[in-house]
This record gives sequence, structure tokens and C-alpha cells, in this order.
Amino acid sequence: MDNLGSLFHGFGVALTWYHVALMLVGVLLGILVGVLPGLGAPNGVTILMPLTFTMDPVSAIILLTSMYWGALFGGSTTSILFNIPGEPSSVATTFDGHPMAKQGQAVEALSFAFLSAGFGALVGVIVITVLSGWVTRFALRFSSPEYFAVYFLAFASFIGLAGANPVKTLVSILLGFAFATVGMDTISGSLRLTFGFDELLRGISFLIVVIGLFGIGELLLTMEEGLKFEGVKAKVSLSGVLATLARLPRYWVALIRGSLVGVWMGITPGGPTAASFMSYGLAKRFSRRRANFGKGEPEGVIAPETADHGAGTAAMLPMLALGIPGSATAAVMMGGLMIWGLNPGPMLFIERPDFVWGLIASMYLGNVVAVVLVLATVPLFAAILRIPFAIIGPVIVVVCFIGAWTVGASKPDLWFAFFFGLVGYVFKKLDYPVAPLVLALVIGDKAEDAFRQSMLMSQGSLRIFYENPLVGTITTLAILLVTWPLWAMLIERVWGVRTARVQPVDLE
Amino acid sequence: MTERALVSRATMEIATALATGAAGAAVMWGSIEHDIGWGDSGPAAGYFPFRIGALIVLGSLANLGFALWGRHEHSVFVTAEQGKRVLAFALPILGFVIVSLFLGMYLGTILYLFFVMVFQGGYGPIRALALGIAVAVAMRLIFPLWFKVPLLIGPLEAWLGLY
Repeated sequence: MDNLGSLFHGFGVALTWYHVALMLVGVLLGILVGVLPGLGAPNGVTILMPLTFTMDPVSAIILLTSMYWGALFGGSTTSILFNIPGEPSSVATTFDGHPMAKQGQAVEALSFAFLSAGFGALVGVIVITVLSGWVTRFALRFSSPEYFAVYFLAFASFIGLAGANPVKTLVSILLGFAFATVGMDTISGSLRLTFGFDELLRGISFLIVVIGLFGIGELLLTMEEGLKFEGVKAKVSLSGVLATLARLPRYWVALIRGSLVGVWMGITPGGPTAASFMSYGLAKRFSRRRANFGKGEPEGVIAPETADHGAGTAAMLPMLALGIPGSATAAVMMGGLMIWGLNPGPMLFIERPDFVWGLIASMYLGNVVAVVLVLATVPLFAAILRIPFAIIGPVIVVVCFIGAWTVGASKPDLWFAFFFGLVGYVFKKLDYPVAPLVLALVIGDKAEDAFRQSMLMSQGSLRIFYENPLVGTITTLAILLVTWPLWAMLIERVWGVRTARVQPVDLE
Repeated sequence: MTERALVSRATMEIATALATGAAGAAVMWGSIEHDIGWGDSGPAAGYFPFRIGALIVLGSLANLGFALWGRHEHSVFVTAEQGKRVLAFALPILGFVIVSLFLGMYLGTILYLFFVMVFQGGYGPIRALALGIAVAVAMRLIFPLWFKVPLLIGPLEAWLGLY
């Protein structure tokens, strides 16, 4: 097990006072970001990103990933206490978590949520530890055609599996690719799609797009609902948490099923939001206690929470090993990696083992830290939510625009952030998924390069995508997935079977 | 839905499909400045964007078709009440961006928070001003002083000699 050896080396990197302190700061900031509606994990990580440009990459990624874990946890607090999901991925937690809280079981609901989330995250990290060696060895055989095929597969799975309208998903992905081509072309050096505006020479930063789509857009949606926070008070005590922990093994089926769904959806770019809905749906269909679902059933909290966190952590595997982010937040981090001068992909494991294994080790620690911190700080963050939104909302707006400015100290970026905020608002209301747009924006250049290099290798023949069994299999899978909506329609027509579809949710 | 619709969902679907279609057309138009075919070194600079743009136009046309002829319940995109709330939130943001561009982010923040708290939140002017200044001070401490990331400043800061 050379992975185990690498992992211990990683613990050596992660277990310094500085890094543990960064973990604490990251998790706390993350919980704050997760608790506040309008500030989600992708957006929070984006705003923090420019501050890490001067840091050492290992420290930076530990800070940012810890923030991600904190945000995933924080989102559940508001779901349970206030019935308002702080994160899109904790929507499914409201179904049973809030009823539990209203019945006076707030502490149980919170403890179940955080402990099972911690379990899901742990399974995710273990899967990364075990699989990463194998995935990288596999990926080392990849050259440009294989890479393009894998990118194609990633986007095909959005169209085929996400459950959102496939044409809208397609348009969203393509817009992301189009924004990615703005600015200097990396191969020919020519300036593309700038329409004569000097402001567009540097291209459109994915960080600005995320701040707009996920920050301002989300805030506009929140305001539209005119929300009021009327929460349930909860006092978390150690004995209450321990009593819940003792009851947790009874739900082992939900725990394992949720983790598996989560890991699967994290590795294939489904993301935590889709994972939590899918896991909740499965639990509701197969549980012995399904009659209680929606009325405050602990299993209805455990199922989405394990999947949510399993997916959040597992999304790091394809990001590190293949350079394909499994969620919007992972996409932002991957963009960060490239800014820090690291090249995600199998070579990263060989060239920078300290970075990769330090990160993986920090994921074990960070999630344990997050479970403890989130339980300890429930009253604090619940109190923050009692501050009227007339104050919190505008302060979040200011933070978003500060984030937009620090990306590149450029004035047009403020306009872009505002513009993408409006786009995000309209897109979310019309069920255009925005996560695929961000993913396409981040890997757009890489996908184009892979395609052009493949075309150079084959002198323009598309047959290179069927040149060997490996690339052929990936390409075939991708084509099947892209056309899946058509197949599903055909199956329904011919056999009259309704194919299972995931709830149409926007992917985090 | 008994509430009055300000904009119906169908209208917005059509408008969005037209907007994405226009974006696709703009991408195509922008890429024909370059060679969209095959250069000496494989696909030229315009090759990829041109096809992306064309696909966006096709996808948008499909969405337009769905919006025009698809089945849709007469659902609401935004009610008058919601529209008012969104505008009440979005317009001050627009003001904040414009003021920040001319006067810098510190003054922009103070004015923005003051405005929304006094005129929308119903707070007293003293509290609103205090919070605005507190946030501006926090911004200054965290960004330029602690992380060495300067924020957008205006003529006032320049005159005071703050970077």
C-alpha cells in the first residue's frame, strides 16, 4: 500500500500548527458562509481565493477546502433550525430536519445531520485515498484524445443525468465554453471575441462569474421571497450529542447507501445537491419507515446529509487526478490550482506529492474539526441569523463586490459581477443549471486545447476518438449519455416504462 | 396563484432564449474575424468558438420553440410584489457599483449601507452611519493592511494619502 505511506507523509505536511490553525479559520468562515443565505460554498471560496494568491499552495488549498467543509455543514444548521437551506445542497435536509426541530428534537436533528455528514465525508476521503493511486496510473495513459473524451463525458453526464432540461443544460455549458474563449488564444496567440473592448483582453474570470451567478443571483432570489427567519432555539449539549451518536449505528443502511450515492455523484460530476436529493429519494422509496418521511424522520436527515458530504469530498478525486471538477466549488478550486501554477491531473501526484497528500490528509482532519466546531457553534451562528436581513443582505453584497475587485483590481469586473448576478437570477428561475456553465468556463481552454491537439495528431479526422479501446469506450459512453434523453423517451414510448429521473434540481 | 403576474414565465422563457441566441450569434460573428477553418497548425483560432456559437444558436432556437409551442401552464415568472422586492434590492446595488467606481469602495459602502438601512430597513441615521463606518474600517483592516490587497479607492482616499 504505497498510498498509505503517502498518506502518512501527508499527515506530516498537514499536522503543523499553522495548517491546523488555517483549518480552524477555514471551517469557521465556511460555516458562516454556509449559514448565510446568498453566500454559498462556491461563492465563499471564490471571494477568499484572491487572498490566497500570495500563500503557499498547500496552505492555500487547506484553507479553501476547510472552508468548503464548513460551508457544507453550515448549510444544514439553517435548514434544520430555520427551514431555510443555507446551501442548495441542504435543501433535502429541510424535509425532515425542520419537522424534527419543531417537535422539540432540534438537538437530535442537528447531531444526526452533522455526525452522518461527517461519516459521509470520511467515506469520501477513504475512497479518495484508496482510489487515487489507481486513477492516476490509469490517467497517465491518457493523451489529448482521451482527455477530450473525458471532458466530453463529464459534460455529457450533465445533459444525460442531471434531470434538468437537457437543451437548457446544453446552452448553459456552451455559454461557459464561449466565455472561456474570450481573450488571448493560448495556441495561436490571437485575441478572440473581444469585440474591440480592451477590457476583454484578459478574458472573463471564472471567479467573477461565480460571484455574480452564485452570490448576487442567489441574493436576488432570496430577497424575492421576502424571507423571515423564525427559527427554533436549540441548546446543544454533549450528552445529547453522545446519545444521538449511540443511536446512529441503527441507521447503518441509510448511512452506507447515502455515502455510496454521494461518492458516486461526486466522482461523476453530479455534485452534492443532486446527490442529496437522490439519496433522500432512494431512502424514501426503500426505507421501512418511509411512512414517517417528511414528518420528522431521522433517516430523512441522515440520507441526504451523508450523500451531500460524500459527494463534496469525493469531488476532489476527479479534480486532482484528471483535472475534471466534480462540483462547482471543486471547479473554482481547480481554477485556483491553475492560478497557483499547479497543473491538475495525474502528473500532480508525481510532481507535487506533498501538495496532493497534504490536502488528502487535511480532509480527514478538516472534517473531524468541522463536526466538532459546527456542533459547538450552533448557538452563535443561529444568533447571527437573527440579525435582520436588511443589514446582513447589503453587507453580503459589499463582500461579494470586494471579492470581485480583489480578483484583478479591474473596474469592469464590478459590472461583470452585477451582470452575471442578473443572469444567475433569471437562469435559476427558469431552471437553466448554472454549475455546468462554471465548469465549462474553468476547463473550456483545456478542452479546446485537447481537441485541437487531437485534431493535429489525426490531421483532422474525428476517427481519433475511436482509435483505441480506451478512448473509444469513453467516447461511446459520452455519446450514449448525451443522447440519453432521447433514449429515455424511446424506451417510454416503446415499452411504456417510465424511466427513473432525478428531481430537477440545480446542481451545486 | 392568485397573485398578479408582473411577467409571465412564457414571456421570460422567450426573452431568455432570444438573449442566449443573440449571445451565440455574437460569438459566431466575433469568431469569423479569425480563420474558422483549418490552418497550417490544425484547427484555427476561430474554429472552436464558431461552432460553439452555432450550437448556442441552435439550442436557443430549440428553447424558443419549446417556449412558443410547448405545453405550459400559465405560470408566473415574477409577481408584482416579488418584482418590487427584487428591484428594491437590485437598484441600490447598481447605485453602489456606480458610486464605488467614482468615489471608491469605502465611501460607496458607507453610502450604500446608510441608504438601505435608513430608507428600507427603517433604522435611525446614526446607527446606519455607524454600521457603514464599522464595515469600512473592517474592510480597510482586513484587505489592504492584513492581506496587502488594496481596494478600489476614490479621490477622497487619494487626498487623505491612503492607498
